[in-house]
Order: sequence, then C-alpha cells, then structure tokens
Amino acid sequence: MIVGDTFRPGIFVDALAFIADNPAFLAGKALEQLVLAGAALGLALLVALPFGIVLGHLHRGSGIAIGASIFARALPSLAAIAFLLPVLGIGFLNNAIALAILAAGPLLTNAFEGVEGVDRDAVDAARGMGMSAGQILRRVELPLAVPLLMTGIRVAAVTVVATAPIAAIAGGGGLGDVIVNQASYRLKGVLGASLCVMALSAAVFLCLVALQNALTPKGLVRTRVVGDLPPGKELQ
Amino acid sequence: MDDDGPVIPDFGEGSSCVTDNRTFCWDWAREHWGDTLQPAVLQHLWLTAIAIAIGFVLAFGLALLAHRVRRVEHPIGVGAALLYTIPSLALFQLLVPLTGITTTTVEIALVAYTLVILYPNIVAGLDGAPPEVVEAARGMWLTRRQVLTRVELPLAVPAIVGGLRIAVVSTIAIATIAAFLLPKGLGYPIFYAIKLPEPFKTEIYAAGALAIGLALLCDGGLVLLRRALVPWARKGGA
Amino acid sequence: MIRKHTRRAAKAAFAISLAVAIVLGGTARPAESKSSASPTITLGTKNFAEEYILGQLYKQALEAKGFDVVYKENIGSTELIDKALTSHKIDMYPEYTGVIVQVVFGRALSAKTAAATYALAKQLQEKRGFTLFRPTPFADTDAVAVLKSTATKYSLKTLGNLKKVPGLKLAALPEFRTRNTGLVGLRRNYGLTNVKFVPLAGLSPYQALDSNKVQAAAVFSTDPVLGPTSKYKLLADPVHQFGFQNVAPVVSKQLVASLPPLFRRTVDAVSAKLTQNAIIAMNKAVIIDKKTPKSVARTFLKANGLL
Repeated sequence: MIVGDTFRPGIFVDALAFIADNPAFLAGKALEQLVLAGAALGLALLVALPFGIVLGHLHRGSGIAIGASIFARALPSLAAIAFLLPVLGIGFLNNAIALAILAAGPLLTNAFEGVEGVDRDAVDAARGMGMSAGQILRRVELPLAVPLLMTGIRVAAVTVVATAPIAAIAGGGGLGDVIVNQASYRLKGVLGASLCVMALSAAVFLCLVALQNALTPKGLVRTRVVGDLPPGKELQ
Repeated sequence: MDDDGPVIPDFGEGSSCVTDNRTFCWDWAREHWGDTLQPAVLQHLWLTAIAIAIGFVLAFGLALLAHRVRRVEHPIGVGAALLYTIPSLALFQLLVPLTGITTTTVEIALVAYTLVILYPNIVAGLDGAPPEVVEAARGMWLTRRQVLTRVELPLAVPAIVGGLRIAVVSTIAIATIAAFLLPKGLGYPIFYAIKLPEPFKTEIYAAGALAIGLALLCDGGLVLLRRALVPWARKGGA
Repeated sequence: MIRKHTRRAAKAAFAISLAVAIVLGGTARPAESKSSASPTITLGTKNFAEEYILGQLYKQALEAKGFDVVYKENIGSTELIDKALTSHKIDMYPEYTGVIVQVVFGRALSAKTAAATYALAKQLQEKRGFTLFRPTPFADTDAVAVLKSTATKYSLKTLGNLKKVPGLKLAALPEFRTRNTGLVGLRRNYGLTNVKFVPLAGLSPYQALDSNKVQAAAVFSTDPVLGPTSKYKLLADPVHQFGFQNVAPVVSKQLVASLPPLFRRTVDAVSAKLTQNAIIAMNKAVIIDKKTPKSVARTFLKANGLL
C-alpha cells in the first residue's frame, strides 16, 4: 500500500535524478518488462492473428471478433493474473499468459476487420484472374489489410507494455517492481520508473508506426484511424 | 484452566470445499454475498459511475471546444495519449500526497482515463457529420448552435455511445486496481484473496467474474441505449 | 478568432467541470479532519491476516465504547507502517515487540524474557513520542514444527532434541538458511550441525511435513493449523533464539493524552483476551474457513462481553 511521500514540484527533478543515478538497474528492469511484453505479444500474435485473418477471409464470425475485443477489454488484467495464480503460481508464465489474453482482443478484432473489410471489388477481380483462395489471401487481402492489422498490433503492443507493471504483484518483474515498492524506492523512484514506462510505450509506439509505414503498400493512403488512439484502457 | 481466559467461540467451520480450496465453492459465494461480494459490486458501480459522469462532462466540453477551435484539437489529443501511458499504479501514488488515500484520488485517475477514451470518440463523432449535410443545414439559415444541436450532435450519437461503451467497460476494469489504494470495489476481494497464505480461488473467481459480468452488462445496456436513441444507425462502431 | 458561441460552449464546459470538482472536493475526506469534540483514532494494520484480525478487534471494541475510529487496513510491511506512524498518517497500530526492537530500531534480539523485550521496545518507542499499551498473552514467533507422531517416536520436546533424528531434514523459506534467528542460530545454539536444509518453493511447511519429505519445518507459532487439537507439535526454544513477539499496540502519546483513560482500558481489555489458542482459532476461521476478519472479530468480542 501507499504511504505518500510529500509532494513538491521538485519531485519530478528528483525522479529524473533517480533515472540518471540508476541507469543499469532501470535498463535491466525495462528489459525484463520488454521480454514479458514481447512474450505476451508473441503468444497473442500466434493465436489471435491467424484466427482473425481466417475468420475475416471467410467473412464469418464477426460476432466472435467483436465479442473478443469487448471481452478482452472487460477482463481486468488484475483478474486475469489472479485467475491464473492458483494454476500457474507466481512468475513469468502466469503474467505472460494474462497479458497475452489482453493483447489478443485488439489483435483479433483488427485482424478480422482488416481482412474482412478489404474492398470486395479487389477480391472479385483477383478471383476473376484465377487466383486461388490462398493466393487471394496472401497477395490481395493481407497487403490491403496491413493498416488495420498494424494498428491492432500497435494497440496491443502498447497496451501490453504499459500494463506490464501490474505483473509485479505476481512476480512478473520489470519496472513494476519499482512502482509497487514505494517503501524501498520512494516516490521519486516510483515516478522515475513510471517515466521509463511511458518512454518505453512511446518508443514501442514509434517503432511500430515506422514498421507500419514500411509495410504499407505504396499507393495505399494511410487514413487517420480514430481507433488508433487507445481504444481501451484496461491498463493495469 | 484459568477462568480469566477468553471464551473462544465457534466461528463456524467452512465447508470442505472451502478448506480444501477447491476451484469454486458456491456455498461460500452464497454465504458471503452480503458481507463481501455485494458491497464490492456496489462500491465498484459507484466508483465507475462517478468517473464516467465527470469524465463524460469534461470530454464533451473539451470536444466541443476542439470542434470549434480546431487548433486545440491536436494538442489535447496528444495530451490525452500521454495520459494514457501513465501506469495507473503510478498515477495513484503521485496523487496521494496531493489528495490523500481517498476516493478522490482514485476518481481523479479514473476520470483521466475515461477522458482519454471519450474525447477522441466524441471529436470523431462531431467531425463525422457529412459536410454536405452541414452545408445544407447552414443553407437553411440555421445558426451555428442549431446546426450543432440539430444536425451534428444527433449524427454523432453512435460514435459517442460507442465511446461510452469502451469507456464504461474499460473503467470497470481499471477500477479493480483502485483496491491497491482503498479497500473498495471488486479489486479488494481479489487482492485480499491473493494475499492469503494460499490464494483463495473462489473469492478470486467470484470477484473477477462479477467484474467481467458487470462490464458486459453495461456494454449491452449501452447498445440498447444506442438503438433507442438512433434506431436508424447501422450496427457497427466501437 | 473565437466566436460568441464557442466562448459560451467553452464557458459552460468549464463551469460544469468546476462545479463538479467543487462537489467532489467537498465530499472528499481530508486525512486530518479531527472534530474538536473528540479526536479520531486513526488505526492502521500491516498486510497479513493476523493483523487484519487484530485491527478489527481493536476497531470494533473502541467503536462500541463510543470512540471515533478511522481504519486504514493493509498499509504494508513494518517499514511502511512505521513511516506512516512517524509521519502522523496513523496514530496507532498493533506491532510485535521483537519486531520493534529488531526491525524498527535495528537492535539485536537479546532479551531473555517476553517482559524484557516488551520493556525495551516500549523504552525505544517512548523516546520518539509513542508508547506501547499492554502486550497480548500470545506471541507470534518463528518456530519449528514436527508431526506429533515424529515427536513421540524420538521423544522430541525441545529444539536440541532434534539431534536424535537421524538424517534430519528441515524445510523453510530460503532466507531462513542465513538468518541468525534461522538455520545459523539452530546450528550455533542447539548444535544441529548435521541438518539438511530443504528450501520451500510453492509447498507449505505443513505439506512438506505431511508428505514426509522432511521431519521438521519452520513455521509461525500462531499458524491456523496449530492449536490444542493439531497433529503438529512445536518444539520448545529454551535459548529463546526466536525471540519474543507478543503484540502491543503502538500509540502516539499525543493521542493518549487527548483521550480519556477509557481508551487505554478498552484496548488493554481486548489484548488481555488474546491467548495463543484464541488467536490460532481466529486465524483458522479467517485463513482456512474463509470468514471475514470483521465477522470473526465481532463474534469473538461478543462472546467475551467486549462489544
């Protein structure tokens, strides 16, 4: 729980000083967090992405896709971690899976909507040219779905990175270890670690934007998608 | 035997399901609905309702402002996105020295996150009126305010309700973290049960399921609301 | 150029938000809102079940006598709650006498009796403006448990008797191995040089005993599975390696001075009833039978005429 150091405007300076004084320690924690987030994202990508793509290709199961996103938003990450605690105990796996469930929502939905929403004319034209279903998927639907797909991945990635601190209550490590431990690190430490989390989220966001720009087929104008801004904030 | 010793009353045995910590004990849930689960649900609803109410008012005001003064739309949006990445645990701890370990602290954080979700959706809704329609309305000599209230706002309802759906569901989920600070809401039974020497499964699952159920219920309710308000709007959005 | 309508819209939004903020601020309870009529007692607890029980016991007993109690449960570990005490966020909390000496003030646990430990703890607290109320009969110390059957088999009464157990294996949490009050102390004080240490990972010490993985395990003396009908037996610690850990409420002297003697009497009356068996029974009700600390405390206080 929290006792509350006194608050002075100088606390932000202290926080920056904390970061400057503990670079290796914080970098190590940040790395731990990235590894956890990466594992969770990887897991979710493996399961949710193909599932959403296939459903979208078949134009089936829109209910599932939308339901999945609502459910992932409705599931508090605290509850996800707590549910798995008796089963998997404290540690990496428990948190990775809980966070993966969190990531799966936006991934599934965006994968579905991305592939499903591809211009029917383009698909028909491809079919008319004699492409097989697999070829249509690979050469037409997926490239055209890239914007929404990447948005989904980006939202999922940022969500997972920014939510990971709560894993500290169940042995997940990362910068959360500092954030839940005001006793040892004082408010300036908590603030410093939080700034690191924010920086990490921003970095992940920017990297993925760059990746998206690289992957978007030229000629596909990138529209400003409102769903881009954090649609759901089940963050911790 | 000293008769100065205390009377040790019978506290009542837990069922074997509870003492063995089996997956889910309905008897425990029934027995402790009144003293543990129901208060948590009500507290949770209360926390959420306040956050949504205030967040909505603020988001709406800011969105109206941004709708008129386009210049501020982007800065407000960026500010919102930044707020988004602050870990809620940290935001709580930051606020405690200012507002103490109180409901106010929790509410400030919850309102902030609600704002972040609602603002872009309301802006998008207001901006989403087709320009031809707005032009046509203007052409009918409607004042700026009438264009807003009679054209842009009704057309924005699906987006606004969509944003509300996301905000409500997310706020219910985040409010579980409030228990880190205050023994209130559905997060409290979860934290308590995790802390026991052996995490108590039933309490964890019961509180978690209630949180999820609450969120899904509210989501469904808002869908019905949208249908009632704008029966002509197609399904989709949110 | 912001036009008239925009200004109005902005003003309206601002006004509403301000109004809401004022209302919300008004309903918030600032930390130190003491009415001049009778000072409130801000009672805190640490973050585990036994402390929740103690907190509820004192809280309910005081409220029954008309005192105004602000209850801050689950503040955290010793360091955190001591900080809360010294920074006046709380006025009072139940602490273990040995912990006061060793953790709060960093001294060695060398006192030979419970009374001496309590006296030292009290003396140390009083130097910084706090006092201790009467201690409880029960003490929650580290202890070593064996199955009653094992105790019978090797006639085990004290920790020194463990020498008689061939191939002795002892289970405990990893940090027990290096503590002076842990394995190091057992070797030095009782000559248990041949004990094999088995770190507990995920298994409870009692499960380890039940499955015969080990013959002895490190536990706490108020664990819910102990008590008169338990199948485990705690070995005596004649050297007092584990120290003394009776509970005594730490209270700010200022608060004591500002309240009538009924305050101290009420708290002491509760503490007097907290024997080993009583607290074990209450721990069992909360930890094993999953009752709430609040209801358990209430039942106990009622049965003992304190409510």
